[in-house]
Amino acid sequence: MRRRLPGAVLGVLWILPALVLITSLILYPVAYAIWLSFFDKHSFFPAERWVGLGNYARIAGDAEFWDSLWKGVVYAGASTGLQLVLGLAAALVLHQAFRGRTAIRALVLFPYMIPTIVAVIVWRWLLNETYGVVDDVLLRLRLVREPVVWLGVDHMMASLIAVSVWQFTPFVVVSLLARLQTIPLELGEAARVDGASAWARFRHVTLPQLRAVLFVVVLLRSIWMFTKFDTVWLWGEGAGAGREIRTLPIYAYMRTFTYYQAGFGAALAVIMFLMLMAATLVYFRLFWGEEDAA
Amino acid sequence: MRRLAWRAFVYAAALGLAAQAVVPLLWMLSTSLKPPREVFATPPTFVPAAPTLENFVRLVTDTAFLTYFRNSVVVAGLTVVLTMAVGALGAYSLTRFAFPGREAVARLVLCTYMFAPIMIVIPIYILARRMSLVNTHTALVLAYSSFCLPFALWLLRAFFRSIPVELEEAAHVDGAGRGRAVIYIVLPLALPGLIATSIFTFTLAWNDYIFTRILIASDELKTLPVGVQDLFAAAVVDWGLVMAAGMLITIPALAFFMAVQRHLVAGWGTGGLKG
Repeated sequence: MRRRLPGAVLGVLWILPALVLITSLILYPVAYAIWLSFFDKHSFFPAERWVGLGNYARIAGDAEFWDSLWKGVVYAGASTGLQLVLGLAAALVLHQAFRGRTAIRALVLFPYMIPTIVAVIVWRWLLNETYGVVDDVLLRLRLVREPVVWLGVDHMMASLIAVSVWQFTPFVVVSLLARLQTIPLELGEAARVDGASAWARFRHVTLPQLRAVLFVVVLLRSIWMFTKFDTVWLWGEGAGAGREIRTLPIYAYMRTFTYYQAGFGAALAVIMFLMLMAATLVYFRLFWGEEDAA
Repeated sequence: MRRLAWRAFVYAAALGLAAQAVVPLLWMLSTSLKPPREVFATPPTFVPAAPTLENFVRLVTDTAFLTYFRNSVVVAGLTVVLTMAVGALGAYSLTRFAFPGREAVARLVLCTYMFAPIMIVIPIYILARRMSLVNTHTALVLAYSSFCLPFALWLLRAFFRSIPVELEEAAHVDGAGRGRAVIYIVLPLALPGLIATSIFTFTLAWNDYIFTRILIASDELKTLPVGVQDLFAAAVVDWGLVMAAGMLITIPALAFFMAVQRHLVAGWGTGGLKG
């Protein structure tokens, strides 16, 4: 008779490949990044020199770091806020009953599903100051007197935020829609019978039900916008100009791959991570309620 | 009367939402079909006056686009295979076997969501260099798979959980081993979850920019996003060509999406997420 392995052993065996991959390609690299941040190390050559907290001390006095931190906060704050407001409005509209609702719900997801490089090239073309259709329409409506240079220094951050909002709001819409569909209709009906106005029903019936999902969506979206690399990089630096939108991830990347200061770059990444952890803890302290546990 | 106004508002708003999502992509399609002279016409035209496939022909014959495309298909495909095999095994273990530390493993998986790509990319580059994995598709597939695994595990765990254990036990009574029970009972029932997870994995690998930018140096190994960015970085941007490339990258991603759209929303609530 064949001997059976006990469940616990089998269980560990089956999870093992996943654990090996996650450990060697996520946890170990993260630990290595922390280790690296204590070294002065060239990105290509093996030589490295222990500098202790030297990189961190340098960062504290680095004007470019503070500048990129500020730009990152502006970018993450503005784009998350707009995604939230517009996403909530869109979700409430798409929750109504109308013909073609399924199709429109699918279409609205498109910007989120296309590759970032496509979102970027499409919008760089639409916003092109000479041949772009956006400036053409604005000029014809006489909203502006001369073409707006959307990718120039004055408007680069604004246009980056706009593109990011276009690209990532669908995430908010779908997350909220999924939750809206599970709210019992009786709740709204009861309030209506009691004579509550549409606004009062939204404020006192719908919004409290959305609290938990909003909590998660705000957390995820702000983390992801703060650490966003590809959209920001491709909008500016990858195309040769981007000082105006040099957020923290971009700055860490440049230190590592343009100036070859891997230790310094790693220290920047670690600082970004620590700030996210701290912000997340504060966020939980402030807004986490018992009812969110569901 | 107020009801009618409300309905009109809902339809107008819904149409507006659809338009803002789709019109930019239609504009890309329109530009990709224009001959060079019309691309730069002022005022711009929405419907090409003389539609042509010239841009697509040039893209395929004059650039390395097809190579990039093949690389993307290979890398994204292998990533899906590896992630699904490892992820399904792991998620099954997390739902069906009791072993010490099981809950800790599940929480650890969730924690990895916190790591920004840049925090992983810098050390991975240095480690890949040390192991001479830089400039190979192996490095890309491994990086994407481990990056996708946490959410694949989380998502699949939710799907496996929803399958009653009794079904498997019945199979055991009938003499089927665990392997057979998994293959003939659990996997078919978890199919929507497997599909949703594959889509998330595929889109992540298909769309990713940063790992390829850092790990791949030679032109013939580049995937689409990096290859197309290089087209775009030329001194004078050939917009017709770039838009044609954009169309051809978008089509597989959207086709995949449309095919499984209804499974997708099911997976949304359970944590299948990307940045």
